[in-house]
Amino acid sequence: MSAKTKTGPLSPRPSLLRRPDRAAAAIELLQDLGLLLVIALGAIALGFLSPVFFSRLNIENLLFSSTIVAVVAIGETFVILVAGIDLSVGAVLALSSVLAVGLVNDYGLPPAAAAAVSLGVGALAGLVNGFNVTRFQIPALIATLAMMTATRGLAFIYSGGQNIAPVPNVYIGVQAARIGGAPAIILFTLALGAVAHVVLTRTRFGRSLYATGGNPVAARLSGIRTNRIVILAYMISGALAALGGLMITARLEAGAATAGQGMELTVISAVVIGGVSLFGGEGKIAGVLLGVLLLGLVQNAINLLNVPPNYDYLVSGLVIAIAAGLDVYRRKYVEVGLRKRSNAAGTEPRK
Amino acid sequence: MNEARPADPVLVAERVTKAFPGVLALDDVSFEARAGEVNALVGENGAGKSTLIKLMAGFYAPDSGEIRVGGAPLLADPAAAHNAGVATIHQEHHLVPGMTVAENLTLGRWPTRYGFLSRREMMRRAAAALDQVAPDLDPLKLARQLSPAEGQLVEIARAIAEESRVLVMDEPTTSLSAREVRALFETVRRLRSRGLAIVFVSHWLEEVFEIADRVTVLRDGRLIGSRPAAGLDHAGVIRMMVGRDVEEVTTASTPPGDIVLDVEGLTREGAFENVSFAVRAGEIVTLAGLVGAGRSEVVNAIFGAEAYESGSVRLAGARLPPGDPNAAMAAGLGYVPEDRRRQALVPAMSVRSNASLARLEQCSPGGFIDFAAEQRLVEEARRALSIRMSSPDAAITTLSGGNQQKVVIARWLACEPKLLILDEPTKGVDVGAKAEISEIIVRLAAQGRAILLVSSELPEVLALSDRVLVMRAGRIAGELSRAALSPERIMTLATVG
Repeated sequence: MSAKTKTGPLSPRPSLLRRPDRAAAAIELLQDLGLLLVIALGAIALGFLSPVFFSRLNIENLLFSSTIVAVVAIGETFVILVAGIDLSVGAVLALSSVLAVGLVNDYGLPPAAAAAVSLGVGALAGLVNGFNVTRFQIPALIATLAMMTATRGLAFIYSGGQNIAPVPNVYIGVQAARIGGAPAIILFTLALGAVAHVVLTRTRFGRSLYATGGNPVAARLSGIRTNRIVILAYMISGALAALGGLMITARLEAGAATAGQGMELTVISAVVIGGVSLFGGEGKIAGVLLGVLLLGLVQNAINLLNVPPNYDYLVSGLVIAIAAGLDVYRRKYVEVGLRKRSNAAGTEPRK
Repeated sequence: MNEARPADPVLVAERVTKAFPGVLALDDVSFEARAGEVNALVGENGAGKSTLIKLMAGFYAPDSGEIRVGGAPLLADPAAAHNAGVATIHQEHHLVPGMTVAENLTLGRWPTRYGFLSRREMMRRAAAALDQVAPDLDPLKLARQLSPAEGQLVEIARAIAEESRVLVMDEPTTSLSAREVRALFETVRRLRSRGLAIVFVSHWLEEVFEIADRVTVLRDGRLIGSRPAAGLDHAGVIRMMVGRDVEEVTTASTPPGDIVLDVEGLTREGAFENVSFAVRAGEIVTLAGLVGAGRSEVVNAIFGAEAYESGSVRLAGARLPPGDPNAAMAAGLGYVPEDRRRQALVPAMSVRSNASLARLEQCSPGGFIDFAAEQRLVEEARRALSIRMSSPDAAITTLSGGNQQKVVIARWLACEPKLLILDEPTKGVDVGAKAEISEIIVRLAAQGRAILLVSSELPEVLALSDRVLVMRAGRIAGELSRAALSPERIMTLATVG
């Protein structure tokens, strides 16, 4: 989709009008499937390199370890769709984690109430981010950077820098739960993705989000309360980051103030690799989930192929750069192909 | 500066033609800039002035014809044009606000000594450059502290190198006060007396007659005439600017109904002042005038896209809060803005999503989008406005400009507005779509809607308006009833006031 808009509406290609819808749909599908293709090729290569890759245990492991990034990335997608950015997700995740355990252990709150407070604090952080970005016109990068630093600080203050344990039993239960043979967490993440997809594509809020990100002036002049939409997007991002905090608490079996450090960059990479435009207004949840999967695959490969731990970051960085580069190349290629097609169509006599 | 006898042509454009997709911007135009002469280039918006200037500045190459400076052909390269002696002052300012006047004057060519910046040499060059234009200006002042007039002078000083032979100024007076204009003209006269050929673009005829030795009129990309200013008067120039066959007049001719829109004393400092008028049901009222007269700003303020300082806007008697488009929409206002791409379309979305944007709430009861209702809205619009598209799900960017505009109009018609504001609705659309959009506007008025139109195209103004308000420099310079409409009257009010 983004390939189409790069040319701008004032350089119309009238011959495109004649392009049959079927071809348009096919090209769009190819764009969406590009990432899937990269993942499939990667998986096949890994299958050859490591015999355990296609084992059920490893696949389950790969998906399971991607769930937290996936949940946070879904939230980040809402923000990036309105042309914002949320750097505070990793820190919000950590604060949520220490609160979820700490409020139970220190104040005797029921685990569910503590979890609700965590989610509320996440949403509140998002509210403040959104307010700073809209009302006070602070650039999103700076506003959420400040939130990231301050929130991480709060997490450290509250926990005294120590991991808080033990976690309530329910976390351990949820972590181990299986539905129909599959880990419940994986199914839950997929369900969350489905809900996000429906919200984005079928609700007024979703449509308003795309319009606000795609052209804030036009959206405002069409009666959309764009500030409200932007604030809501940041609140969703904050709440889902807090949800990621609950999930990481279950995985670590502790409330950890150091959890999710640097995670914002992984999350943003996944969203962008997944085809969401940093300029706002374009992107799909399915793509984001594939982006998360690709990064998970890289991590999995590093583990399976016994890459020395010190090479971890370097390999990840290279893969992100290559994946993003390939994606740009693919889009360009698709656009050129599109233009050639339409030019060819333009020279044909019209029926 | 070169020794050139007065009246020697320094820059000669010979039979230049330049076309852009869909527009013939310049058609076989010949033009001369002579040493020691100020040649004022005038014409309506879209007459081809900017294109001619950009050709002289080396931004474009002509499709045919040739531009010569001092006898040598000019290359289509801004740096080459500058080296050939053509200095151009563009409408937009190009000073680095955080740098001093001296640094700006030597921008990108800062003198160095042993690899380090040489402040002394820089100051010497700055003083030399300022000497011709603004000897009193402090070279150590920061550019951001300069008044618009001072900034202009610094640009002129920077543009005219020692070997400059032609100075081209594109609407240099728009942001200046009357006193500053006088000061600028003094500088211009000084440069003229040193033998520079000066090309000067302005919309204000008083200015033209104050400074110009020669007036060159363009219309629809063609040269209408280039005559000594001494033999001309305002009326003569205006006749040259507008004297074309006026198209067939279509008329709404519905007896106007009750007052729908009542604007009183609308004022925003620096944009518009004390603007009052009313629009009745079934009436097409047009704000005419030149670009920059404040028309778009006024309609922007009426719709609430931007705030205003004083005055009031009433729709059907109820006062609209300033700066609140939602309130305006709820009260029954619709707004087709001037810049379709920037203000109206969401390029990444489909035709359907763009068409329903202002009706999103009605199309999504309970928060979920009712795709069938949306589809009905689009189909109805497609039929009513004959919008040509491959499918409602096609990207809006695949439509032609005219059809994109119809989608924007459809967006508002779906809201059943009492008053529809259309700001340059036929800008950038082809001739066929232009006629269709005009027809739509007349039809809407006939249905009893009030129409507030902003148009810079005289034929359109004449064909559609029941009443015309001519704006000039942020004020309403005059009102013309349909019976009193004539291109000359509109242009006189727009340029002389």
